[in-house]
Amino acid sequence: MDHGPVTSEYLRLGLHAPAIADLAQPGQFVMLTVARDADTAPVLPRPMAIFRWERRTGRIEIVYRVVGEGTHRLSQWSVGQVIVTVGPLGRGFVIPSGTRRIVLLGRGIGTCSLTALAAVAAAQGVDVRALLSARHADALVGGDACRASGAREVREVVDNDGSSDIGLVGAWLKERRALGVDQIYVCGSGRLLDLATATGVSVQVSLEAHMACGIGYCHGCASGHPGLGEESPLVCRDGPVFQLPAV
Amino acid sequence: MIAAPDLRVDLGDLPLRNPVMPASGCFGPELGDLIDINRLGAMVTKTVFAEPRSGNRAHRLAETYAGMLNSVGIPSRGARAFIAELLPRYRNWSPPLIVSIGGLTVGAYLEIAERLTRVAGIAAFEVNVSCPNLEAGGLEIGAEPQVVEAVVRGVKERVEVPVFVKLTPNVTSIAAIARAAETGGASAITAVNALMGMAVDWRTRRPRTGTAMAGFTGPAIKPVALRCVWQAAQAVAIPVIGVGGIATVDDVLEFILAGATAVQIGSATFTRPDTMVRIIAALEARLSDEGVVSVRELIGALRTDSPSATVPMQAG
Repeated sequence: MDHGPVTSEYLRLGLHAPAIADLAQPGQFVMLTVARDADTAPVLPRPMAIFRWERRTGRIEIVYRVVGEGTHRLSQWSVGQVIVTVGPLGRGFVIPSGTRRIVLLGRGIGTCSLTALAAVAAAQGVDVRALLSARHADALVGGDACRASGAREVREVVDNDGSSDIGLVGAWLKERRALGVDQIYVCGSGRLLDLATATGVSVQVSLEAHMACGIGYCHGCASGHPGLGEESPLVCRDGPVFQLPAV
Repeated sequence: MIAAPDLRVDLGDLPLRNPVMPASGCFGPELGDLIDINRLGAMVTKTVFAEPRSGNRAHRLAETYAGMLNSVGIPSRGARAFIAELLPRYRNWSPPLIVSIGGLTVGAYLEIAERLTRVAGIAAFEVNVSCPNLEAGGLEIGAEPQVVEAVVRGVKERVEVPVFVKLTPNVTSIAAIARAAETGGASAITAVNALMGMAVDWRTRRPRTGTAMAGFTGPAIKPVALRCVWQAAQAVAIPVIGVGGIATVDDVLEFILAGATAVQIGSATFTRPDTMVRIIAALEARLSDEGVVSVRELIGALRTDSPSATVPMQAG
């Protein structure tokens, strides 16, 4: 439907995918086949968070950054072409009943899986507080989407002015925690995850992994160890969102 | 009115409605949400081990030029969970079920065969001999003709359905291993499993997969796989199932001409989940266009007699 830059860092891909828009839940993803037409390579499709969707028009939106061969090829797709898109996939974020206030912690492109959550939660009357972190202003994404969807507070912090300092972010989180927080949702940063788990609040984290099938049969996205009696969870099927218990 | 071309083929005693099936590890009941599995010639499971085991540590996947590396490491829920939970899900579909089995010792293959023998709903076994042999310093089970023959014979004695053997290409003579499998009693040869490969990230000075070496698959390995099928088909009288880099109907026809009776699709299902069903439809159309009555006419029909070695089919 549309495809172009959002900032100097990110591109936005709008797709007409009514079946996906109909079923999508916050935190779910799609597998995009970047090989064109009859091309048989690149072999692997790319897992992408669904940034937002609209059931009425059947539009879904992906925001991504060109980091390698696959995303470079994806950036060259133009409007009017048909791209094989499988989804919505995986287990997304859960908003437990009775949730009154939540905190979202996102870093860089990882913010993309949180924007839809902000919208759904705000629409349910949940008090949404988002902290979005990035290297610099052009690497921030999703702040406007969170504000537009009714988040109570959207704080954007960056490395190049020091505002993303982990101590400052920790202090911010502590103040929100004092207000009473039912869930913290994290994507895109191990350090933000550490801050979140240290609060003792129940945490949901969205993980990233290399994937081949996206639906659970290839086991390319698990992170087990030889010698374990059982296979470890699959990011595609058992995640990408995992619930960490409250301490 | 011209009749639709006949796509039926026989793998020994196992008749297939068409020659296209998935490669082990690249298929599961999950695909039933995306494609019509009843269209396939057969279903092939991920390799089942006697006891549960985990796969390897992350990362398990890396992309390469026209291919991919995987170090998944064959996780398996074991025979018990396979029979109780996975097998019933495959009963939702009609194509014959080929169960891939593996082990880390000769005895382990015999154990999984014993545990799955006379289990209803299994049409054939495919013995995955691309597993490290713990009794021989980790050398692949499939690298030694005598070991392959012993494994096949032992499995064959314990089961009542056809036994296929999936060969590793990482050997000196694929023909010798194929003959050993045939001597052991195999009903068909599957050629070939992943090539051993490797990818390095020089910036981090680390391999791109959790285990330094990984299985190399995808279109990039097609010429090697085609050569292995050709050599195996020359060496044995039993049917050969071709696998390795197949992604289009033209690839399928090339493998059949080189000697394959059936083919397996692996990585291409990752690229596009409907690859197998699209190939089956295209195969029917292509044979019809060419006036080929039965796909069986083409098996091993590669002409190597004239200098130009032309094939009586049009590309495109």
